[in-house]
Amino acid sequence: MGKSGSGKTSMRSIIFHNYVARDTRRLGATIDVENSRVRFLGNLVLNLWDCGGQETFMENYFAAQRDHIFRNVEVLIYVFDVESREIEKDMHYYQDCLEAILANSKDAKIFCLIHKMDLVQEELRTAIFDERLHELEKRSEPLKITAFATSIWDETLYKAWSSIVHSLIPNVRELESQLQNFATICEADEVMLFERTTFLVISHSSRIECSDIHRFEKISNYMKQFKLSCSKFQAQFKSMEIRQANFAAFFDVLTANTYVMVIMSDSSVESAATQMNINVARKHFEKLEVTHMPR
Amino acid sequence: MLKPKAISQVLKQATTGGVKATLLLNSEGSPLAFISDSDRDARVYAAIASNIWSTFEKNGKNLMRDDNLKFLLVECEKGNVAITTVSNMLLCLVAKPEVELGILKAKTDALARHLEEPFQRMTTYTQT
Repeated sequence: MGKSGSGKTSMRSIIFHNYVARDTRRLGATIDVENSRVRFLGNLVLNLWDCGGQETFMENYFAAQRDHIFRNVEVLIYVFDVESREIEKDMHYYQDCLEAILANSKDAKIFCLIHKMDLVQEELRTAIFDERLHELEKRSEPLKITAFATSIWDETLYKAWSSIVHSLIPNVRELESQLQNFATICEADEVMLFERTTFLVISHSSRIECSDIHRFEKISNYMKQFKLSCSKFQAQFKSMEIRQANFAAFFDVLTANTYVMVIMSDSSVESAATQMNINVARKHFEKLEVTHMPR
Repeated sequence: MLKPKAISQVLKQATTGGVKATLLLNSEGSPLAFISDSDRDARVYAAIASNIWSTFEKNGKNLMRDDNLKFLLVECEKGNVAITTVSNMLLCLVAKPEVELGILKAKTDALARHLEEPFQRMTTYTQT
Protein backbone atom coordinates (compact mmCIF):
# COMPACT_ATOMS: atom_id res chain seq x y z
CA MET A 1 0.00 0.00 0.00
CA GLY A 2 0.99 3.58 -0.22
CA LYS A 3 0.07 6.95 -1.57
CA SER A 4 -0.96 7.43 -5.18
CA GLY A 5 2.02 7.61 -7.53
CA SER A 6 4.54 6.37 -5.02
CA GLY A 7 5.61 3.49 -7.27
CA LYS A 8 3.87 0.37 -6.00
CA THR A 9 2.84 -0.96 -9.38
CA SER A 10 6.20 -0.04 -10.91
CA MET A 11 8.16 -2.12 -8.47
CA ARG A 12 5.78 -5.02 -8.75
CA SER A 13 6.14 -4.97 -12.54
CA ILE A 14 9.91 -4.92 -12.39
CA ILE A 15 10.30 -7.70 -9.88
CA PHE A 16 7.57 -10.05 -10.99
CA HIS A 17 6.64 -9.22 -14.55
CA ASN A 18 9.99 -8.76 -16.27
CA TYR A 19 9.66 -5.03 -16.84
CA VAL A 20 12.71 -2.87 -17.31
CA ALA A 21 12.83 0.28 -15.19
CA ARG A 22 12.32 2.43 -18.28
CA ASP A 23 9.08 0.69 -19.24
CA THR A 24 7.33 1.59 -16.01
CA ARG A 25 6.48 4.98 -17.52
CA ARG A 26 3.80 3.25 -19.51
CA LEU A 27 1.98 2.12 -16.40
CA GLY A 28 -1.18 3.96 -15.51
CA ALA A 29 -2.78 4.48 -12.14
CA THR A 30 -4.03 1.40 -10.37
CA ILE A 31 -7.78 1.37 -9.98
CA ASP A 32 -9.00 -0.12 -6.72
CA VAL A 33 -7.08 -3.33 -5.95
CA GLU A 34 -5.12 -5.32 -8.47
CA ASN A 35 -4.75 -8.88 -7.39
CA SER A 36 -1.89 -10.84 -8.78
CA ARG A 37 -0.90 -14.35 -8.01
CA VAL A 38 2.75 -14.93 -8.58
CA ARG A 39 4.24 -18.38 -8.62
CA PHE A 40 7.39 -18.24 -6.62
CA LEU A 41 9.60 -21.23 -6.05
CA GLY A 42 7.19 -23.37 -8.00
CA ASN A 43 4.47 -24.22 -5.57
CA LEU A 44 4.72 -21.29 -3.21
CA VAL A 45 2.23 -18.79 -4.51
CA LEU A 46 2.45 -15.16 -3.55
CA ASN A 47 -0.82 -13.33 -3.54
CA LEU A 48 0.08 -9.74 -4.18
CA TRP A 49 -2.58 -7.15 -3.59
CA ASP A 50 -1.57 -3.96 -5.25
CA CYS A 51 -3.85 -1.35 -3.72
CA GLY A 52 -4.43 1.81 -5.68
CA GLY A 53 -3.38 4.80 -3.61
CA GLN A 54 -5.75 7.55 -4.58
CA GLU A 55 -7.52 9.08 -1.63
CA THR A 56 -11.00 7.87 -2.51
CA PHE A 57 -9.73 4.31 -2.66
CA MET A 58 -7.84 4.67 0.57
CA GLU A 59 -10.89 5.90 2.42
CA ASN A 60 -12.80 3.01 0.97
CA TYR A 61 -10.25 0.45 2.18
CA PHE A 62 -10.50 1.65 5.74
CA ALA A 63 -14.26 1.82 5.73
CA ALA A 64 -16.21 -0.51 3.50
CA GLN A 65 -13.54 -3.04 2.58
CA ARG A 66 -11.70 -3.10 5.89
CA ASP A 67 -12.26 -6.80 6.55
CA HIS A 68 -11.74 -7.83 2.99
CA ILE A 69 -8.43 -6.06 2.58
CA PHE A 70 -6.77 -6.52 5.92
CA ARG A 71 -7.68 -10.06 6.82
CA ASN A 72 -5.14 -12.89 6.45
CA VAL A 73 -2.27 -10.59 5.67
CA GLU A 74 1.18 -12.14 5.90
CA VAL A 75 3.12 -9.09 4.92
CA LEU A 76 2.22 -5.44 4.63
CA ILE A 77 4.44 -3.50 2.31
CA TYR A 78 3.93 0.20 2.62
CA VAL A 79 5.58 2.40 0.03
CA PHE A 80 6.49 5.99 0.82
CA ASP A 81 7.47 8.50 -1.80
CA VAL A 82 10.59 10.20 -0.46
CA GLU A 83 9.75 13.39 -2.34
CA SER A 84 6.22 13.58 -1.02
CA ARG A 85 5.09 17.03 0.10
CA GLU A 86 2.38 15.74 2.38
CA ILE A 87 4.30 13.63 4.86
CA GLU A 88 1.75 14.22 7.59
CA LYS A 89 -1.02 12.86 5.43
CA ASP A 90 1.05 9.83 4.40
CA MET A 91 1.73 9.08 8.00
CA HIS A 92 -1.91 9.45 8.82
CA TYR A 93 -2.89 6.83 6.24
CA TYR A 94 -0.02 4.63 7.31
CA GLN A 95 -1.21 4.64 10.87
CA ASP A 96 -4.76 3.88 9.83
CA CYS A 97 -3.35 0.99 7.93
CA LEU A 98 -1.41 -0.32 10.91
CA GLU A 99 -4.48 -0.06 13.08
CA ALA A 100 -6.47 -2.13 10.62
CA ILE A 101 -3.67 -4.70 10.40
CA LEU A 102 -3.39 -4.92 14.14
CA ALA A 103 -7.08 -5.63 14.40
CA ASN A 104 -7.36 -8.13 11.55
CA SER A 105 -4.07 -9.95 11.17
CA LYS A 106 -1.80 -9.16 14.03
CA ASP A 107 1.02 -11.51 13.02
CA ALA A 108 1.70 -9.71 9.77
CA LYS A 109 5.20 -8.50 9.12
CA ILE A 110 5.52 -4.85 8.21
CA PHE A 111 7.93 -3.59 5.60
CA CYS A 112 8.29 0.10 4.81
CA LEU A 113 9.96 1.09 1.59
CA ILE A 114 11.17 4.65 1.26
CA HIS A 115 10.93 4.77 -2.49
CA LYS A 116 12.34 6.96 -5.27
CA MET A 117 15.62 7.42 -3.46
CA ASP A 118 17.28 8.19 -6.78
CA LEU A 119 15.68 11.63 -6.64
CA VAL A 120 17.64 12.52 -3.52
CA GLN A 121 21.23 13.65 -3.77
CA GLU A 122 23.58 10.84 -3.03
CA GLU A 123 25.23 12.29 0.06
CA LEU A 124 21.89 13.14 1.66
CA ARG A 125 20.37 9.70 1.22
CA THR A 126 21.42 8.03 4.43
CA ALA A 127 20.59 11.09 6.51
CA ILE A 128 17.09 11.37 5.08
CA PHE A 129 16.52 7.63 5.34
CA ASP A 130 17.58 7.58 8.99
CA GLU A 131 15.32 10.47 9.78
CA ARG A 132 12.32 8.79 8.11
CA LEU A 133 13.09 5.46 9.70
CA HIS A 134 13.18 7.05 13.12
CA GLU A 135 9.89 8.76 12.50
CA LEU A 136 8.31 5.56 11.22
CA GLU A 137 9.52 3.48 14.10
CA LYS A 138 8.07 5.95 16.53
CA ARG A 139 4.77 5.98 14.73
CA SER A 140 4.46 2.23 14.28
CA GLU A 141 4.71 1.27 17.91
CA PRO A 142 4.01 -1.33 19.21
CA LEU A 143 4.64 -3.06 15.88
CA LYS A 144 8.13 -3.84 14.67
CA ILE A 145 8.91 -2.66 11.19
CA THR A 146 11.67 -3.20 8.68
CA ALA A 147 12.49 -0.32 6.41
CA PHE A 148 14.45 -0.03 3.17
CA ALA A 149 15.49 2.82 0.95
CA THR A 150 14.69 1.78 -2.59
CA SER A 151 14.80 2.95 -6.16
CA ILE A 152 13.80 1.18 -9.35
CA TRP A 153 16.98 2.40 -11.04
CA ASP A 154 19.42 0.41 -8.97
CA GLU A 155 19.77 -2.76 -6.98
CA THR A 156 18.21 -1.48 -3.75
CA LEU A 157 14.82 -2.69 -4.95
CA TYR A 158 16.13 -6.25 -5.14
CA LYS A 159 17.59 -6.00 -1.68
CA ALA A 160 14.27 -4.99 -0.19
CA TRP A 161 12.27 -7.63 -2.04
CA SER A 162 14.78 -10.35 -1.31
CA SER A 163 14.36 -9.83 2.39
CA ILE A 164 10.58 -9.63 2.07
CA VAL A 165 10.48 -12.91 0.21
CA HIS A 166 13.09 -14.39 2.51
CA SER A 167 10.74 -13.89 5.43
CA LEU A 168 8.02 -15.83 3.60
CA ILE A 169 9.89 -19.01 2.68
CA PRO A 170 9.19 -21.66 5.27
CA ASN A 171 12.37 -23.72 5.12
CA VAL A 172 14.96 -21.02 4.72
CA ARG A 173 17.09 -22.32 7.60
CA GLU A 174 17.23 -25.79 6.12
CA LEU A 175 18.16 -24.44 2.70
CA GLU A 176 20.86 -22.32 4.20
CA SER A 177 22.51 -25.16 6.05
CA GLN A 178 22.39 -27.35 2.95
CA LEU A 179 23.99 -24.62 0.91
CA GLN A 180 26.67 -24.28 3.52
CA ASN A 181 27.36 -28.00 3.20
CA PHE A 182 27.48 -27.71 -0.55
CA ALA A 183 29.94 -24.84 -0.35
CA THR A 184 32.21 -26.72 2.03
CA ILE A 185 32.31 -29.86 -0.08
CA CYS A 186 33.08 -28.20 -3.37
CA GLU A 187 35.41 -25.72 -1.69
CA ALA A 188 33.59 -22.70 -3.00
CA ASP A 189 34.05 -19.23 -1.55
CA GLU A 190 30.46 -18.36 -1.91
CA VAL A 191 27.26 -20.02 -3.05
CA MET A 192 24.06 -18.14 -3.79
CA LEU A 193 20.63 -19.41 -4.56
CA PHE A 194 18.34 -17.35 -6.77
CA GLU A 195 14.69 -17.70 -7.53
CA ARG A 196 14.28 -18.54 -11.18
CA THR A 197 11.83 -15.98 -12.53
CA THR A 198 12.60 -12.99 -10.34
CA PHE A 199 16.28 -13.60 -9.64
CA LEU A 200 15.76 -12.62 -6.04
CA VAL A 201 18.34 -14.05 -3.67
CA ILE A 202 16.70 -16.77 -1.61
CA SER A 203 19.66 -17.83 0.38
CA HIS A 204 23.42 -17.65 0.36
CA SER A 205 26.39 -19.05 2.13
CA SER A 206 29.84 -17.53 2.28
CA ARG A 207 33.03 -19.07 3.50
CA ILE A 208 35.08 -15.92 3.27
CA GLU A 209 34.23 -12.32 4.00
CA CYS A 210 33.56 -10.10 1.05
CA SER A 211 33.88 -6.35 1.24
CA ASP A 212 30.95 -5.49 -1.03
CA ILE A 213 27.75 -5.96 0.94
CA HIS A 214 25.57 -5.01 -2.02
CA ARG A 215 26.88 -7.74 -4.28
CA PHE A 216 23.79 -9.97 -4.17
CA GLU A 217 21.42 -7.29 -5.32
CA LYS A 218 23.84 -6.19 -8.00
CA ILE A 219 24.09 -9.73 -9.31
CA SER A 220 20.30 -10.12 -9.23
CA ASN A 221 20.00 -6.94 -11.21
CA TYR A 222 22.66 -7.82 -13.81
CA MET A 223 21.56 -11.38 -14.27
CA LYS A 224 17.97 -10.38 -14.77
CA GLN A 225 18.94 -7.82 -17.39
CA PHE A 226 21.10 -10.43 -19.06
CA LYS A 227 18.33 -12.97 -19.07
CA LEU A 228 15.94 -10.45 -20.57
CA SER A 229 18.41 -9.60 -23.32
CA CYS A 230 18.84 -13.31 -24.02
CA SER A 231 15.13 -13.72 -24.47
CA LYS A 232 15.13 -10.92 -27.03
CA PHE A 233 17.12 -13.23 -29.27
CA GLN A 234 14.70 -16.04 -28.53
CA ALA A 235 17.37 -17.84 -26.57
CA GLN A 236 16.77 -19.35 -23.17
CA PHE A 237 19.37 -18.47 -20.61
CA LYS A 238 20.62 -21.65 -19.00
CA SER A 239 24.08 -21.37 -17.60
CA MET A 240 27.29 -19.44 -17.78
CA GLU A 241 30.83 -19.65 -16.60
CA ILE A 242 33.23 -16.81 -16.06
CA ARG A 243 36.85 -17.66 -15.48
CA GLN A 244 39.60 -15.22 -14.74
CA ALA A 245 43.09 -15.47 -13.33
CA ASN A 246 41.98 -15.23 -9.72
CA PHE A 247 38.44 -16.56 -9.66
CA ALA A 248 35.81 -18.58 -11.46
CA ALA A 249 32.07 -18.03 -11.30
CA PHE A 250 29.47 -20.56 -12.35
CA PHE A 251 25.85 -19.77 -12.89
CA ASP A 252 23.57 -22.69 -13.52
CA VAL A 253 20.04 -24.00 -13.18
CA LEU A 254 19.73 -25.91 -9.94
CA THR A 255 16.12 -26.98 -9.61
CA ALA A 256 13.00 -26.20 -11.57
CA ASN A 257 12.65 -22.99 -9.56
CA THR A 258 16.14 -21.92 -8.70
CA TYR A 259 19.46 -20.87 -10.12
CA VAL A 260 22.68 -21.36 -8.26
CA MET A 261 25.82 -19.28 -8.43
CA VAL A 262 29.11 -20.69 -7.25
CA ILE A 263 32.21 -18.57 -6.77
CA MET A 264 35.56 -20.32 -6.61
CA SER A 265 38.81 -18.51 -6.00
CA ASP A 266 40.99 -21.60 -6.04
CA SER A 267 42.10 -21.80 -9.64
CA SER A 268 43.46 -25.34 -9.25
CA VAL A 269 39.90 -26.66 -9.13
CA GLU A 270 38.79 -27.58 -12.63
CA SER A 271 35.55 -26.24 -14.14
CA ALA A 272 34.35 -29.72 -14.97
CA ALA A 273 34.63 -30.75 -11.33
CA THR A 274 32.49 -27.86 -10.14
CA GLN A 275 29.94 -28.42 -12.86
CA MET A 276 29.74 -32.04 -11.92
CA ASN A 277 29.20 -31.10 -8.31
CA ILE A 278 26.34 -28.82 -9.29
CA ASN A 279 24.87 -31.67 -11.30
CA VAL A 280 25.09 -34.03 -8.40
CA ALA A 281 23.64 -31.54 -5.95
CA ARG A 282 20.69 -30.88 -8.21
CA LYS A 283 18.88 -34.03 -7.22
CA HIS A 284 19.36 -33.38 -3.53
CA PHE A 285 18.00 -29.85 -3.70
CA GLU A 286 15.05 -30.98 -5.77
CA LYS A 287 14.16 -33.44 -3.09
CA LEU A 288 14.50 -30.74 -0.47
CA GLU A 289 12.17 -28.48 -2.38
CA VAL A 290 9.47 -31.10 -2.81
CA THR A 291 9.40 -32.25 0.79
CA HIS A 292 9.41 -28.84 2.39
CA MET A 293 7.36 -26.58 0.22
CA PRO A 294 3.74 -26.18 1.16
CA ARG A 295 1.24 -27.01 -1.50
CA MET B 1 29.83 -34.87 -4.63
CA LEU B 2 33.48 -34.46 -5.50
CA LYS B 3 35.90 -32.93 -3.07
CA PRO B 4 38.42 -31.40 -5.45
CA LYS B 5 41.21 -31.33 -2.87
CA ALA B 6 40.68 -34.91 -1.77
CA ILE B 7 40.74 -36.20 -5.35
CA SER B 8 43.95 -34.32 -6.01
CA GLN B 9 45.48 -35.91 -2.92
CA VAL B 10 44.70 -39.41 -4.16
CA LEU B 11 46.03 -38.65 -7.63
CA LYS B 12 49.17 -37.20 -6.10
CA GLN B 13 49.90 -40.45 -4.28
CA ALA B 14 49.92 -42.26 -7.61
CA THR B 15 52.19 -39.73 -9.29
CA THR B 16 55.44 -41.32 -8.08
CA GLY B 17 58.13 -43.65 -9.33
CA GLY B 18 58.43 -42.37 -12.87
CA VAL B 19 54.77 -41.43 -13.38
CA LYS B 20 54.73 -37.95 -14.88
CA ALA B 21 51.05 -37.17 -14.74
CA THR B 22 47.82 -38.60 -13.40
CA LEU B 23 44.54 -37.32 -14.77
CA LEU B 24 40.89 -37.86 -14.08
CA LEU B 25 38.60 -36.93 -16.96
CA ASN B 26 34.86 -36.84 -17.31
CA SER B 27 33.13 -38.69 -20.12
CA GLU B 28 33.55 -35.70 -22.43
CA GLY B 29 37.27 -35.54 -21.84
CA SER B 30 37.44 -32.40 -19.69
CA PRO B 31 39.77 -32.80 -16.75
CA LEU B 32 38.09 -33.07 -13.36
CA ALA B 33 41.40 -33.12 -11.55
CA PHE B 34 44.98 -33.79 -12.45
CA ILE B 35 48.50 -33.83 -11.10
CA SER B 36 51.22 -32.82 -13.51
CA ASP B 37 54.31 -30.65 -13.67
CA SER B 38 52.74 -28.39 -16.22
CA ASP B 39 49.11 -27.41 -16.69
CA ARG B 40 49.56 -27.16 -20.42
CA ASP B 41 50.93 -30.66 -20.79
CA ALA B 42 48.15 -32.08 -18.68
CA ARG B 43 45.49 -30.55 -20.89
CA VAL B 44 47.18 -31.92 -23.98
CA TYR B 45 47.35 -35.39 -22.39
CA ALA B 46 43.71 -35.13 -21.48
CA ALA B 47 42.66 -34.24 -25.00
CA ILE B 48 44.72 -36.98 -26.64
CA ALA B 49 43.83 -39.68 -24.13
CA SER B 50 40.10 -39.08 -24.32
CA ASN B 51 40.26 -38.91 -28.08
CA ILE B 52 42.10 -42.23 -28.37
CA TRP B 53 39.72 -43.85 -25.91
CA SER B 54 36.54 -42.72 -27.63
CA THR B 55 37.84 -43.69 -31.07
CA PHE B 56 38.72 -47.19 -29.93
CA GLU B 57 35.48 -47.58 -28.07
CA LYS B 58 33.36 -46.43 -30.98
CA ASN B 59 35.06 -48.66 -33.50
CA GLY B 60 35.35 -51.60 -31.17
CA LYS B 61 31.65 -51.65 -30.33
CA ASN B 62 30.74 -53.22 -33.67
CA LEU B 63 33.47 -55.80 -33.49
CA MET B 64 33.28 -56.91 -29.91
CA ARG B 65 29.52 -56.81 -29.53
CA ASP B 66 28.66 -56.28 -25.89
CA ASP B 67 32.14 -56.43 -24.45
CA ASN B 68 33.17 -52.91 -23.45
CA LEU B 69 36.62 -51.44 -23.76
CA LYS B 70 38.33 -51.82 -20.40
CA PHE B 71 41.93 -50.81 -20.68
CA LEU B 72 44.33 -49.15 -23.11
CA LEU B 73 48.10 -49.29 -22.92
CA VAL B 74 49.99 -47.11 -25.34
CA GLU B 75 53.74 -47.29 -25.77
CA CYS B 76 55.13 -44.03 -27.09
CA GLU B 77 58.59 -42.79 -27.98
CA LYS B 78 58.83 -40.62 -24.92
CA GLY B 79 56.77 -42.56 -22.46
CA ASN B 80 54.01 -45.02 -21.73
CA VAL B 81 50.36 -44.24 -21.21
CA ALA B 82 47.65 -46.22 -19.45
CA ILE B 83 43.96 -45.37 -19.73
CA THR B 84 41.05 -47.04 -18.00
CA THR B 85 37.53 -46.25 -16.84
CA VAL B 86 36.29 -45.60 -13.34
CA SER B 87 32.50 -45.74 -13.42
CA ASN B 88 31.77 -43.26 -16.25
CA MET B 89 35.02 -41.35 -15.96
CA LEU B 90 38.44 -41.88 -17.44
CA LEU B 91 41.63 -42.36 -15.49
CA CYS B 92 44.86 -41.72 -17.34
CA LEU B 93 48.46 -42.23 -16.22
CA VAL B 94 51.42 -40.93 -18.19
CA ALA B 95 54.81 -42.40 -17.28
CA LYS B 96 58.43 -42.11 -18.39
CA PRO B 97 59.70 -44.76 -20.85
CA GLU B 98 61.70 -46.58 -18.18
CA VAL B 99 58.50 -47.48 -16.32
CA GLU B 100 57.54 -50.93 -17.56
CA LEU B 101 54.05 -51.54 -18.90
CA GLY B 102 53.32 -54.21 -16.29
CA ILE B 103 53.94 -52.01 -13.29
CA LEU B 104 52.08 -49.13 -14.95
CA LYS B 105 49.05 -51.35 -15.51
CA ALA B 106 49.18 -52.64 -11.95
CA LYS B 107 49.33 -49.11 -10.61
CA THR B 108 46.46 -47.90 -12.76
CA ASP B 109 44.35 -50.89 -11.77
CA ALA B 110 45.01 -50.31 -8.09
CA LEU B 111 44.06 -46.66 -8.34
CA ALA B 112 40.93 -47.45 -10.34
CA ARG B 113 39.85 -50.03 -7.77
CA HIS B 114 40.31 -47.49 -5.02
CA LEU B 115 38.17 -44.90 -6.80
CA GLU B 116 35.54 -47.21 -8.23
CA GLU B 117 33.19 -47.54 -5.28
CA PRO B 118 32.81 -43.86 -4.33
CA PHE B 119 32.44 -42.84 -7.96
CA GLN B 120 29.86 -45.49 -8.60
CA ARG B 121 27.74 -43.94 -5.88
CA MET B 122 28.17 -40.52 -7.39
CA THR B 123 27.08 -41.53 -10.87
CA THR B 124 23.83 -42.91 -9.54
CA TYR B 125 23.08 -39.37 -8.43
CA THR B 126 24.04 -37.72 -11.70
CA GLN B 127 21.75 -39.85 -13.80
CA THR B 128 18.15 -38.78 -13.50
